[in-house]
This record gives sequence, C-alpha cells and structure tokens, in this order.
Amino acid sequence: MHFAIRYLTEYRYDAPVTDNLNALRVRPATSSSQRCDEFHTRIEPEARVSRHLDYFGTEVLEFGIPTAHEQLTIDVRARVVTSEPPEPPDGSWESLGSSSYLDAAGEFALPWQDQPALLGLDELHEALETDSPLETLELLCELVPDRFEYRPGVTYVGSTIDDLLKMGAGVCQDFVHLSLVLLRRRGIAARYVSGYLWAAPEDGGADSLEVDTHAWLEALLPGTDGYGEPVWVGADPTNRRLAGETHVKIGHGRFYADVPPVKGLYLGGATSDLTAAVTMSRLDPQASARA
Amino acid sequence: MKTLAMDGYRPRAPFLDELFEPDGSPRPAAEALVGDLNRLGREGLIEAGRRRDAIFMQQGITFETSGESGASHERPFPLDLVPRVLSGEEWRDIKRGLAQRIRALNHFVDDVYHAREIVREGLVPWRLVAGCSHFARAVHGIRPPGGVYTHVAGCDLVRHSDGSWKVIEDNVRIPSGISYVLENRAAMARLVPELFASYRVRPVDHYPQLLLGALRSVAPSAESEATVVVWTPGPANPAYFEHAFLARQMGVELVEASDLVVRDDVLYMRTTRGLERVHAVYRRLDDDFVDPLEFRPDSLLGVPGLARAYRAGSVAIANAFGTGVADDKAVYCFVPEMIRFYLGEEPILENVRTYLLSDPEVLEHVLKRLDELVVKPTGESGGRGVMIGPHANEAEIARMRAVIQAHPERWIAQDVVRLSTVPTVGPEGELNPRHVDLRPFAVFGERIDIVPGGLTRVALEEGSLIVNSSRGGGSKDTWVLEDGDDADRAGPPIADTLPPALPDLRYGTWSGQQQQQQQWRAASQRGNVERRAS
Repeated sequence: MHFAIRYLTEYRYDAPVTDNLNALRVRPATSSSQRCDEFHTRIEPEARVSRHLDYFGTEVLEFGIPTAHEQLTIDVRARVVTSEPPEPPDGSWESLGSSSYLDAAGEFALPWQDQPALLGLDELHEALETDSPLETLELLCELVPDRFEYRPGVTYVGSTIDDLLKMGAGVCQDFVHLSLVLLRRRGIAARYVSGYLWAAPEDGGADSLEVDTHAWLEALLPGTDGYGEPVWVGADPTNRRLAGETHVKIGHGRFYADVPPVKGLYLGGATSDLTAAVTMSRLDPQASARA
Repeated sequence: MKTLAMDGYRPRAPFLDELFEPDGSPRPAAEALVGDLNRLGREGLIEAGRRRDAIFMQQGITFETSGESGASHERPFPLDLVPRVLSGEEWRDIKRGLAQRIRALNHFVDDVYHAREIVREGLVPWRLVAGCSHFARAVHGIRPPGGVYTHVAGCDLVRHSDGSWKVIEDNVRIPSGISYVLENRAAMARLVPELFASYRVRPVDHYPQLLLGALRSVAPSAESEATVVVWTPGPANPAYFEHAFLARQMGVELVEASDLVVRDDVLYMRTTRGLERVHAVYRRLDDDFVDPLEFRPDSLLGVPGLARAYRAGSVAIANAFGTGVADDKAVYCFVPEMIRFYLGEEPILENVRTYLLSDPEVLEHVLKRLDELVVKPTGESGGRGVMIGPHANEAEIARMRAVIQAHPERWIAQDVVRLSTVPTVGPEGELNPRHVDLRPFAVFGERIDIVPGGLTRVALEEGSLIVNSSRGGGSKDTWVLEDGDDADRAGPPIADTLPPALPDLRYGTWSGQQQQQQQWRAASQRGNVERRAS
C-alpha cells in the first residue's frame, strides 16, 4: 500500500518558554517490506535539525529552540510504500533454545527489567501454553484484548504493566508492554514497535483517516525446524491480528521509552496544551475491500 | 614513662602483616618506622589523634556514615596514624599491572559501543553486556575525543596472604577518595612529622595537576585554552567535599546542573559575564542523572541536551558516559580475557576467583557454599548489598539465597580473600592488626599516570573485612618509597586560587512533554474524521 502521512504536533504554552529541546522518532523505517520515499519536517519557530541513528537503528531528529516562544509546531510529512510480509514460520518450542535463535534474539530475550510479580500474570502465562511459538503469538493477540478493555485516558505515558493489570484497561502501549512480558516468559524474544496504522474500517471505504501514532510488537519466531533463520514477526494485540501492510513501522526498542515519537523538555514554569494529529492518506488506487 | 606503641603486637596468622614478619619482628623496610612509633608511644599517638580530629572537623574533612538504623551523621574522616609502606619495586609492578588493566577496560568500553569484536570472538556473551544495568544505549556509536573513556580509574587491590596483589573490583565510573589521599598526606606531615624522618616518600600532591592536564588534553578546543569544570550533584552528596577540593586545587569552577545549559549542541556555563563555553566536564554524578532527555527522565540534577553536545563532539565528559559497563561485577570476570584479547599480553595483576551465577551449574555449587563465599550485586559499588558468608548468620544466608535464586544474573560470588593487615591505632593508643585494601588513582589523558600509593582503606573493627568508608572503614597514608628509579615527577604546581563563586542563578524549572501512544481500534473509530481525497 502507498501512504502519505502527515504528523502535526502543536504545543501552546501559557507563558513564554525557552530552551525547548526535542527528539523525534517519526520517520518511517525502510525494511524488506516497507520503503520510505519522501520525508520532510518543518519546525516553527525555525530550528536546525540534526539527525542520527540510535542504538536500535531508528532515525532520531533533534532540535532545540533557545529563545522565548509561546508556541511550537512540529510538522512531519512522509510517503511510504508497504507490502504484505511473508507467512510467519511455525517452528518448534525446542528451537528457542538453539544458539542461532539466541544470537538473533540478543537482549530482546532477556527477562523483563523488573519482572512484575503480579497477580494475574501467572494465569495469563498459563493460558498461553500452545503447541508452537506462532500459535502462542496468535493466541496472545486474542487474549490481551479479550481480558483488557481498550480505554484511552485510564493510563498515561509512564504507566506500568502493574497499572494495566490493576485498571483492567489501557491503550495500545500498555497492551504491548504486557504482551512483551508474556512472550519473554515463554522464551520468545519480543520487542516494542512504534509506528502508524492505517486503521480503515472493515468495509474499506476511506481514502484519508485521522489516526494517531500506534504501538505493536515484533516477536522472533524460529524458522520451521531444520530450515531457515528466525524471523521477526509483527503482531498487534490491540487489533487482534498480525501486523501487515497497514502497519507503517518507525522503529523498535525494548519498550516505549526507547522509541517515543516526540520527547522533549523546555525551561519555564508554563504548562503546555498539546494537539497532535496524524493524517494518513492512501495514494494508490482504492482496492475493493481487502480479503 | 611512655608505653611502647608496639608492645604486645602480634601479626594474626594466616594473614600477612605488612610491617611485621610472622615471628613479630619488624620487616626490614619498617624497622625505622617501628622505632619512631615506639618513641611516640601510646600517649603520643592518642594526643596526635586528638589534634587530627579537631583539625578535620574544623576543615570539614568529614564523612557521612549511616548506621543500620538508617540515621546518618558526620564524623571526622578516620585517618589512622600508622602509615602503610610499599617499596618502590613493589609499586612498579602494581603500576604496570594497573595501567595494563585500565588500557584494556578502555578498549572494552569502546568495543562494546562500536564493533563488539570481543563478543564476536565469543569471549564475552552479548547478553551479559546488554543485561548490565550501566550499559548505556544512548551513547552507542559515540567515540569521545582521543578515544579515552576511563579518564579516572580507581581499581581496588588487595594483598593475599601469599604476598600477591589481586584486583578485587574495578571502579571506572566516579571513583572517589583521592582528596583523602592528599589530605591524609598533609595531615600526617603536620601531626607526626617525626615518622617521615628516616624515609623518602614519593609525593602525591601533583594529582590535581595530572587531572587538569588530562582533561585539557581531551577537551575539544582548538583555538584557546580549554575551559574545564567540575560538576557536582550538590552539597547533599556525600563526596561534596572532594568535588569542591578538586575544583579548588585545579583552579576551575565547581558547577551544578542549574549553572549549565546546552545551546545548539554546545555546553555553556552561566556566569555573571553571560554564557561561557565549556570544553571538558569532570562530572561526579552517575549516568542516570546527567541528561533527562537521554537517561532517566525524572532526573532533576541533569542538563538536558548534554548527551547531544557529547555526541556532537563539542565537549569531553570525564568519565565518558557508559563506562559503567566496564566495572560491572559480572564483566569483571572477563578482564583477564580482555587484556589478552585487546593488548596481546598476559595479565600482570590477577583477579580474585569469581563465580558467575547466571550459569545454573555454578549457581548450584555456590548456593551450597554461601557460608564460605562473598556475594555481591553486579551493578552496585561502595560495598552496597555485599554479604560475607563467614560473617553472616543463618537467617541472612537464607535471605540471600532467596534473593539470588530470584535473579541469579544480578549476583556474583567470590572466594573470601585473606586481606593483609597493617598495625592500626586502637582507642588506648595500642596497635592492633587490621585488614586493609588499596585504591590507587589513575588518570588517563594522553597517557596513563598513577599517583604513587593511593587510598589505603582499613577495617577498623577487629576481624572485619569491610573497608568501605561508608560502612565504618578508615584510611591510612600510603607511602611509596623513593628508590631513585622511576620517580613520578611532578610538573610546575598550579596556583592555589579559589574559583570565583557563581551567583545562585535559577531559571525556572524544566518541564517534560511526551505523547502517549494510543490508537483507536478500527472497530471503535469514535470521533475520527474521515475525509475523501479529492
């Protein structure tokens, strides 16, 4: 699929602020199933933007506005082409212990930093016992939205898995964090993915949608026994499915804090009012409802 | 009639005593010292101790200690009046061994954030590195000026009963204690000058000059003399005295986060004359707190954008961000391998035998022997969380067993080292054998310089092996004897000027902005606007 993405963020401060430093992780990645053709940013007040790739390979745009201002606009536009990823491999549980798997998994197979010893986690863990890692991943995409309500506003940017389990509700970021813990407990390497989702209604229809940045995950599934390398497979527990060409990836990390779309700090006691909007438009001729 | 200070002193077998032979006679190099101590007598030592405490309290040379109850109090830094004596020959080996080790550790830090050769060779497991709490992803791919990361290192050495020196841990983040080395020497010369009469002791007071030289040598300032600052987290920090001491001795500004600001990837200090560019920072706070944009977002002590300036190469940071990965206690096990791999040399100084608990077989073995081993958390320093098996009771061992089993990868175990002893003054002026270790301070700029001796820490309680000053340890002046060879020459002294005090500038508080990720599901597109492309 071919998309134009516009990600517009506006901060209004109720008093002048200075030294507004920001880091953006918003550029669609280029990978085997995705290509970013065009990418532009506009910052208002104007600022010099520097770029580098971070530890996880995500492009980071950084800028700072030293002088006093009461408004900040970050306007990002991108064009991207995605394709449907290949069928995920259905390797065995035993393959998870192989050295080729562990080498590819690296730190994404390590136990979650502060393993929450929480009520309810054990039960979810047991519910995910299946015949293969792929089955567990698919089951997880059903289990999490079955057990937890998607409700914006109940959690915030720094919420923990604890909070999700206690509230019984959260947003995609929380769903993904919980899923990562569960996958790693099963020995499946898993990482957090930040990106954009073309969330068209089931009947297709729309050419342009206002969405928001989205989070899903990638799990490392072992190759079918005896053949092939392990493969990172995208899965979206918020939307009950594996990730496909509707998912536009920005980058990945261990958790949200490794790939926040916008992260910033400013000097001054003012409070800020944020409006952020992501508009996705399909550029290729509208296909009929996708199978 | 004076009481001889050494009356009844007996080395305690099987430990090696550094001043006395096992039969109780002074070692050759210590004969004159023992004679002088005896002439001082117990009364003389008690009197000198009184003067020492008064001077230290008055000068603020104190240390904050916290008891088991958690209450903390200031007390004069406990300097024992009996010096420790090392021969020039012995020191040369230690110095060579340390320089070798620090060079290897510096290579390792560079490697871990770049090519990971040592991992590819299969010598160090990647999971171990990535699992280190001090592994700093934010500085991946950044090579500091001169390729130096570990500008200041303070490796802890112990002397085993067979006389060999071993490294017990590496400290390449923000090792502290050098100010006590200098103050101890100055105090000894004032309190007990007679002890120096028969010895030529190598000076230590050129350390600030070495440090300033190293910082200037790595500072990216082509056009003018580099501006160097010492960055302290503030007066509440237990080592604040040292931060202020070093800034004063080097003649540079002592700053806190509110004095610093990053503009266009360049670090500046706020002064009464406006912003002044800073080229090198000797920082005395952990990575976690240096830049809330890249490290811990809730840090109020940090300078937002500092990691950016560092990445841009406009400022040198000593020690570099991310060095903590090299003094992790699990990584410690691999230092001998690092020396062979990076330098192609055999290690001069040995490690203490260490058990990595991430290996299930090793773990099982160690859990059976907890009462004989020392257990340490991998990511901590300063003796925090350490359990010495032979000194622990059953309940403590049981507790530790449970903690280890929950997270074996966060712990290591080591054989108990029979630390050497040195006579130490007791409350009645009598001398008793007390266990010691040694923290020499190395400065890495264009080359590695190591100040002769270092901080000898002494466990003041009988039989205790815990020398950390935060846990009731004291210190000794450490003498390296001049033998005409390999002298550590000092250059011209730095003018002893006080830096101008910075006005207390406060520019409001930092606020954060982040967007939570949330995505409406396709099924619940409440309120979302659909627009037809024209």
